[in-house]
Amino acid sequence: MTGSRQDPITLEIIQNSLQAAADEMFAAMKKTAMSSIIYEVLDMGTGIMDSDGEIASSGAGIPAFIGVLDKATRVIIRKFDQPGDVQPGDIFATNDPYHGGVTHLNDIVVIMPVFVNGELIAWTANIAHHSDVGGMAPGSLTGEATEIYQEGLRLPAVKIIDRGEPIRPVMEVIRVNSRMPDVLEGDLWAAIASVRIGARRLEGLARKYGTGVFADAVSSFMDFGEDVSRRALARLPKGTFELSEEQDDGQIFNVAITIDDDRFTVDLRNNPDQGKSPVNTSRDGVMVAAQMIFKSLTDPYSPANGGSFRPIRLLTREGSVFHAREPAAIGFYYEIELRVYDLMWRCLAPHMPDRLAAGHFASVCGTFIGGIHPDTGRQYTIIEPQLGGWGASRRGDGNSAMFCGFHGETYNCPAEINEARNGLFVDRMELNLEPGGEGRHMGGRGIVLDYRIRTDNGFLTAGYTRSRFPAWGLDGGHDGSPNYIEFIPKDGERRRFAFASGLTTSTDDVIRVVTGNGGGLGDPAERDPDRVREDVGNGLISPDRAREIFGVDVNAGAGSTG
Amino acid sequence: MPGKTIRVAADVGGTFTDLVCFETDAESGQSTVRTAKADTTPPDYEIGVMNVLEKSGTDPAGVNVLVHGTTVVINALTERRGVRVGLITTEGFRDTLEIARGNRPDFFNLHYRKPPPFVPRRLRRELPGRMSYRGEEMRPLDLSGLDGIIADFQGEGVQAVAICFLHSYADPSHEVAAEAAVRDLWPEVSVVSSHRIAREWREYERCNTAVLSAYVQPVAERYLDRLRDRFEDRGFAGSLYVMQSNCGVDSLEAVSRIPITMVESGPASGVWGAAELGRLIGESNILALDIGGTTAKCALVEGGNVRIMTDYWIERDRTSAGYPIMVPVVDLVEIGNGGGSIAWVDDFGKLHVGPRSAGAVPGPAAYGRGGTDATTTDANLWLGRINRDHFCDGEVVADMAAVERTITDVGRRLGVDTDDAARGIVRIANNNMVNALKLVSLNRGFDPRDFTLVAFGGGGGMHAVALAKELGVRKVVVPESASVFAAWGMMMSDLRRDYFVTRLADLTPDEAAGIEAAYAEAVARAIADFESEGVSPERVTVTRFGKFRYRNQEHTTEIELDADPVSEASVGAIADRFHDAYEREYTYRLDAPVEMVGLHLVASAEVGKLEMTDRESTGASAEIAQKPGRTVDFASEGDHAATVYDGSRLEPGMRFAGPAIVEAPGTTIVIHPGDRVEIDGYRNVVIQVSDANGKEFPGSGAGAGTDEATGGSEGKGGVT
Repeated sequence: MTGSRQDPITLEIIQNSLQAAADEMFAAMKKTAMSSIIYEVLDMGTGIMDSDGEIASSGAGIPAFIGVLDKATRVIIRKFDQPGDVQPGDIFATNDPYHGGVTHLNDIVVIMPVFVNGELIAWTANIAHHSDVGGMAPGSLTGEATEIYQEGLRLPAVKIIDRGEPIRPVMEVIRVNSRMPDVLEGDLWAAIASVRIGARRLEGLARKYGTGVFADAVSSFMDFGEDVSRRALARLPKGTFELSEEQDDGQIFNVAITIDDDRFTVDLRNNPDQGKSPVNTSRDGVMVAAQMIFKSLTDPYSPANGGSFRPIRLLTREGSVFHAREPAAIGFYYEIELRVYDLMWRCLAPHMPDRLAAGHFASVCGTFIGGIHPDTGRQYTIIEPQLGGWGASRRGDGNSAMFCGFHGETYNCPAEINEARNGLFVDRMELNLEPGGEGRHMGGRGIVLDYRIRTDNGFLTAGYTRSRFPAWGLDGGHDGSPNYIEFIPKDGERRRFAFASGLTTSTDDVIRVVTGNGGGLGDPAERDPDRVREDVGNGLISPDRAREIFGVDVNAGAGSTG
Repeated sequence: MPGKTIRVAADVGGTFTDLVCFETDAESGQSTVRTAKADTTPPDYEIGVMNVLEKSGTDPAGVNVLVHGTTVVINALTERRGVRVGLITTEGFRDTLEIARGNRPDFFNLHYRKPPPFVPRRLRRELPGRMSYRGEEMRPLDLSGLDGIIADFQGEGVQAVAICFLHSYADPSHEVAAEAAVRDLWPEVSVVSSHRIAREWREYERCNTAVLSAYVQPVAERYLDRLRDRFEDRGFAGSLYVMQSNCGVDSLEAVSRIPITMVESGPASGVWGAAELGRLIGESNILALDIGGTTAKCALVEGGNVRIMTDYWIERDRTSAGYPIMVPVVDLVEIGNGGGSIAWVDDFGKLHVGPRSAGAVPGPAAYGRGGTDATTTDANLWLGRINRDHFCDGEVVADMAAVERTITDVGRRLGVDTDDAARGIVRIANNNMVNALKLVSLNRGFDPRDFTLVAFGGGGGMHAVALAKELGVRKVVVPESASVFAAWGMMMSDLRRDYFVTRLADLTPDEAAGIEAAYAEAVARAIADFESEGVSPERVTVTRFGKFRYRNQEHTTEIELDADPVSEASVGAIADRFHDAYEREYTYRLDAPVEMVGLHLVASAEVGKLEMTDRESTGASAEIAQKPGRTVDFASEGDHAATVYDGSRLEPGMRFAGPAIVEAPGTTIVIHPGDRVEIDGYRNVVIQVSDANGKEFPGSGAGAGTDEATGGSEGKGGVT
């Protein structure tokens, strides 16, 4: 073997190619998927694991999915540990957080081993949100669920393709459990195409450079990830930081984060017991949240791989809301993970003001709308996260209308496509002008989105958090504004809520989605008066509020700063 | 000028304005060719065009056909030098432009900055009125507020108005009415409606397209007017065409109305040149590679066809969502990896090349203009791949001390010596380009081994053979006019328009009549557009494409259809073609209903483009073109004594073998050991690439690779 650790350029070339392969897997999934939640929203992720299941490289998409694939792969490795269990061409699947799935049953992880000359060199994996995997409610997600059995079909880390041939009975079981069998099957095949394309690329790489050099490149890439993290860790302030925070439902969540020279320890043991409602998460899910905040704090620009996360230590208590025990329902796991993520962010923000902004709307605001398309007569289901406002930072105002921190390369659904595909009207989609988020730097704006329903007997399910307690301001900046849904029936009274399960909708009912403004930073009276005037000119704040909150008289020639 | 036809292509690039002039004798059909380069002269680009014309000794009065390509649009966009735009849109949607799509590609970065909209909120105004996705009027357009809006726009110094209403792709009548009303109220202002540019859905993308088009419209129109005036002042009476991003040319009048279609005209002409060159030499599958000073661009030509798409974005990369422009643009991948790309070592000792470029000023260290960073060009000089004694065609004395200093500096940070650092730079640059070439080939289900690599731009020939070896490509063609190839491609372009129309239908016999009606309507529109510019229908060639998908999918696969009308009988064959193409790209097919999402029509008419002549072999030996040889480091294959040829003295039929270097005007071609070269009848350098897996390269006999250098190579074959 001529290539070796002495040749950094070859290793670098292989590492670049790992990234390219993960990106290619992502592109393939996006282009072939059947659910808008995958192809448009891109609620999915792709990754490449080394032969031990440690993540080597990940595609674009959702940061919250990157830390899922390695955990799922390791469960496959542990379960299929006999000779002959894992063969070239095999493909495995899991969606069950009690069997390596990490998130909730809608998210199916598809995993493929990569072989070269009979040697297992890597794994490729893909995760995506599937529109309906059965269970008690359309779309499989419901706030009514009290046990995981009610949330859909469980795939406990099973083989679905055997040496290239689909295992028909398994495929049939998957199909028959869904209310949308064609879509589920189409999306599953898209995931299969994605892991196969990645595997093909890795085979080519390992053949070209040799499996030894390939393995060296992967392990040195992990060491590089760890090196980046450790150097950045050294620059963070040291100590133990704590926070208690009341949640919308009255529960108190607690976190203690200890940063020392070589560890980033997150202690979540002191938290409530798991609940009956599906707002629980697996310990792996909380780990993902810790990994995300850690990566953003240390080095957000370099690639994330298994090595990047090695300094993290997580302490949880089994049976708590952050470490649920089977058979707790976990459908809305993502809101609870976001709460932990936001809790850690808020806990550290005052101590690292140059790295962390004020709070953002911090909810997926998952919105599920279904019914019959009036023009085609077919069932439609919208599964959508929503855009909202991000917090102000020392560098400037927060961004308006972005997906929350758990999403990344995620796209909203154009009104034109929504109306055609789903047979409803989008009456408006505009910035949220409610007060909130004022400061020296302003929080970004949330949105107001009106869906008008065109047929009877549809449904609405939703679960938003940060509805009672909005995004938090920093350094004297005002808090943002809440996330909520306003239901405006054609006949009857308006209602405002954050959680709904299977609410029946009728023709000309309007579902108004309102997402919060991000938190402000600094005293509003210190805001540059010219910026205040600009905001007034742009119709974002009224002249009265400019005077009251910012002390700027827009009608006067020059502003008087209070 | 009787008996002679003079065609001129002038291509304004970022640094240089290139010219190619063909003078063809009507009797003999023989052409004489002149090329010239002059500096680009922003913001008055027409001055550079006149300068290069003068430099080449071409009299505008004698020119029959002038084809022009310009960066005026992309520069106005990226340098934010357009005009103030006011937007009029559907009630409830003034913030669409700012909300955009909500994506955050740089997702761990909590300080991500969303690209700000080109129109501030106070200049984004609404009118009531609503169409459905099927083009039915749900609510009539209410223009009563327009007076007030226009008055505000005038008070704010707006110079161009963009109009975009929801579902205007399905029925544009509200946009048409609003546009007329604006012109009525304010005749001097320039107005751009979204449906005139794009007839496809996605309101943010279409709205942003209308806004960016309005933003550059007055700038581009003024420029094109000035250019025409200059030419006419000098007696020009020929036809003037402008290069488009879809590989075609269009009339100056049409382009002045919607100039945004020029946004990628330079890269498009290079890709088109590669396709046309393929037609000449009988190669229909081509990987086109254009390496310039700051970027490398790649595109795929399959079966002689370029792929034209409408999902183009500017300023989009891993750290920014960028801005969409929904116009027909040739499908290409562009990376920040050209001759001037800077090599740098990060905090963790990892070597990178690009995307930052040394540009023209200070340029590579070798320019001796104070450049302190090593670039790919510097590494190529250090390794002897570029002739240090004949740098930039002998116009620049290479500052080798600066080259050594900067590359040694890179080496120190990597912990290697200067030679290894230079090899590393070339290998990383090559790898960046290999990944880009994979994106346009493997990533789309095409095997690069089935393609011929056509390499051009100043740096194409320098890297092409190494890239071909990596990809298993067996044949590389470096065209005669490689350094001004985009201008040559322009000259070969047809008058071409791409029509994309969103039209949803199930692909079933029942729907065949409706689908055919949509095609017929688009064909009629294309014919009428050409006719209005004096091109008669019999000169127009129409090619039909359709965009299809499995029901419930969103993204589509484009399939070429027969020229015959779509009928009940033909939908089955169309579906079969879709299934095949889909499986090739995505590894599986489904037994699911197929939907049509839209049509794509290509209408073209020849405008008297150039006929090239294939010349006989002269029988001369390549030895007469030899220059003094030198030792060249081939980076992955080590040092070899290379024969050096003067490209301007190569003649049809000459043959030679690598290791060799061809020094042609504006470019250097690196031919690796074991490769064979023949000069074809068009004076293209055609290279048969040897097998990349062989450890031993036959032939050269001299300068076997040093152990150190081969030891540092990719360990080919991988098994020992």
